[in-house]
Amino acid sequence: MFGYMVRRVLQMAVVLFGLTLLLFVLLKTMPGDPARIMAGLGATPESIEVLRHRLGLYDPLYVQYWRLISGLVNGQLQAMTYHKPVWTVIMERLPATVELGVAAVILALFVSIPAGLLSAIYRNSPLDYVVTTAALMGISIPVFWFALMLMMVFGVILHVLPVSGRGETLFGWSFLTVDGLRHLIIPSVALSSVLMALNARLTRASMLEVMRQEYIDTARAKGLRERVVLIKHAFRNALAPVVTNIGLQVGAIFAGAVLTETTTAWPGIGRLIYDSILRRDQSVVFGLALFMGACYMISYLVVDLLYAYIDPRITYD
Amino acid sequence: MRRAVVLASVALLVFGLVVIAETNIPETPGAHVGGTVTVGVSQTFIDMDPRVMNSVYDGYIVDSVFDDLVSLDQETLAPIPCVAKAWEVAEDGSETTFYLNEGIKFHNGEDLTAEDVAYTFNWIIDPANGSPNATEYEWMQEAVVIDDYTVKIINKPEWTPYCPGIVSESASIVPMDTCEEMGPEQFNLTPVGSGPYKFVEWLASDHITLERNEDYWLVYPNLDKIIFRPIPNLATMMLELEAGGVDVVDMMPAQDVARFQADPNVVVQQVPSLTYFHVSFNHSHLPSSDIRFRKACILSVDADAAIFSIFQGLTGIRAYGVTPAALWANDREYLQSVALEEDDAEAVRLFNELKAEGIIPEGFETTIYCPLDPRRTQLATIVATNLQENGINAQVQPLDWGPLLDLLYRSEADPLGEDVEIFVMGWSGGPDPDNFIYYLYTTENAVIGTANNYSWYSNPEVDRLVKEAATVPGCDQTTREALYVEAQRIAFVEDLADMMGYHYIETQGVLARVHDYTLNALGDIEFCSPQCNVWVDE
Repeated sequence: MFGYMVRRVLQMAVVLFGLTLLLFVLLKTMPGDPARIMAGLGATPESIEVLRHRLGLYDPLYVQYWRLISGLVNGQLQAMTYHKPVWTVIMERLPATVELGVAAVILALFVSIPAGLLSAIYRNSPLDYVVTTAALMGISIPVFWFALMLMMVFGVILHVLPVSGRGETLFGWSFLTVDGLRHLIIPSVALSSVLMALNARLTRASMLEVMRQEYIDTARAKGLRERVVLIKHAFRNALAPVVTNIGLQVGAIFAGAVLTETTTAWPGIGRLIYDSILRRDQSVVFGLALFMGACYMISYLVVDLLYAYIDPRITYD
Repeated sequence: MRRAVVLASVALLVFGLVVIAETNIPETPGAHVGGTVTVGVSQTFIDMDPRVMNSVYDGYIVDSVFDDLVSLDQETLAPIPCVAKAWEVAEDGSETTFYLNEGIKFHNGEDLTAEDVAYTFNWIIDPANGSPNATEYEWMQEAVVIDDYTVKIINKPEWTPYCPGIVSESASIVPMDTCEEMGPEQFNLTPVGSGPYKFVEWLASDHITLERNEDYWLVYPNLDKIIFRPIPNLATMMLELEAGGVDVVDMMPAQDVARFQADPNVVVQQVPSLTYFHVSFNHSHLPSSDIRFRKACILSVDADAAIFSIFQGLTGIRAYGVTPAALWANDREYLQSVALEEDDAEAVRLFNELKAEGIIPEGFETTIYCPLDPRRTQLATIVATNLQENGINAQVQPLDWGPLLDLLYRSEADPLGEDVEIFVMGWSGGPDPDNFIYYLYTTENAVIGTANNYSWYSNPEVDRLVKEAATVPGCDQTTREALYVEAQRIAFVEDLADMMGYHYIETQGVLARVHDYTLNALGDIEFCSPQCNVWVDE
């Protein structure tokens, strides 16, 4: 297992290096002069020129690339418009995204897995219809619209929750304060709606598939209790695709839930992506893209390692 | 405690003369001291340093943290005293001497003196600092300290006199020593001004908090705290206003205006803004450089209906010339009376004539470029549809600022902007007609790579009139107005420089618990100034 992990980490380094090259080429071939956009309409040619020099846009490409890479590694790469190093800019937003993501995933797991399970067990029952319909709605309703509806109902009509924003924080975390926790509810419910729907459907489908297998019949023939058959034999084997899906979702959430964060004015990585692209802050876009890439790769690695735990037949050595 | 503070003097901009008058911040009976106001802002903040700030949203913070050398009258937009208690313009208009109020302190306790004023301006105009606000001070040669509380601003000889004067927001005064000590990056993150509210914290993308400056020299600010919250989604911001989560929203979409006007808890404030958005032409190459093509395009569109369909008569009005309706020299009545109205038959005739002459080539197709802004995209779509009905194959291409500016600013390789015939752009300026017509319609501003005159419109007579209007000896407004009016009539009536345009109406929503808050044409958000001291119900 250890050898496998080392190999995967080395692979990740190679992929990240490739990603830096790809990103750099994309940033440099993107239309539009960042200095001109930052200077704004009406800027003098002189001020645009000074800005180009300050941003190092006249340096040879390899110098610009090296500046980005070395700056990211030593943490000194300065954001073009945030007046801070890129990592500081990202790390300032990370807690907001982490707590939103964790809350959404936990909420989604607690609701979707039992729902999918019950839906499969009581297939074609009213309960099944309710779960599948709700799941279909969750997948179909855009997250920004669902968030707006939650805000309208709970924020404006019932006045029981704050409409948007992050509220009070303690040591940079909202969930440590009552006000922060109240602010967390609407964004996390909105974000979890899509996750819930996908996971519930996947759990149901996967369970139905497993329950058709012969070893389930064997377990029942051995006289095992139905609960043991369902949970120990069926559910555990049905988990692999669900875990894969959750792993991908976690990677995506930590890389920034752009729509949810923008709609609910949640100051996380998703908002940062949106803002830094609008500002043409190439340094932050570069750093964020690498960060997002790393999030995905780490979540994939964790999923792969979890496979071995879920299914003992899988080994990596 | 509420103190009435007397501004020492009001000076009128008359050459060689300082007219002294007294003014007070009017006392508001029953004003409550204390409380917090939360402002919903439609964009995130970038710069807090007034020397480099060029976003109207950053200006909301700067307005409260810094004091301006001169303030602007909310109604007339004329300069009124603030840090400068009086000023005197030299007989020949070559320099202006400002006399500063004494006893103004920055939030760190340092005195605000003439050195700080001179430093602020000289830093902005120094090309080495690359301030995007340098354009506004193109006319300024340098600022010179006379004594601790007197500073002189000297014009460049070719800009003598310069009538629009100091009306820009970036004339907010910064503390020299602190700026030098902190450096530009740190000062941008933790600004120190002398204004009514002190900077407390900036939580990235979440909020900026300001608190009362207990020692403010002008008046005791009523509010304990002001919180600015960027809320990029307008629907969310409107819900926040409805729920009372924010007290002020800096923008209200047209579709929400009627709803909030009927809400007793919300006051909708509207004022015509100093903006000009226009569908314009490339004047450098055929067919759009041919006046018949421009006329046919204008005749193809029912401009009133187009503007109404976008703004529902609530948040935008049709423009007839570049000068906003809120400014003098707009000549609105005359320009409206001679504006061309939709005449499809005549438009088709002109297009056919141009096709027959080969000016509109066989298979001609054109693209109307605009920024990724729903209103401008909608306008471009209406224009394209109307042109198509009259036989011109027009498409709409909304573009991000980068590629759009590349197209409009042109390059040495494409000096005529060959790919562009029609585009939609916009401009917001200060409270002087020069801020609009000079930048958008003079040859001087048609420069490859940085054009403000992105239509490359050029008429030597307009150039002459605009230059003369900006440098009229004595800066007599009547004389200046006549010159701007004449220039506009040439550009818009004779030359048909633009197809159509609109002025945006600044629209903000304010909860009824907020008092003494007034929106002005510049879209400023001011909570304590020589003209207001906002307070909230207990």
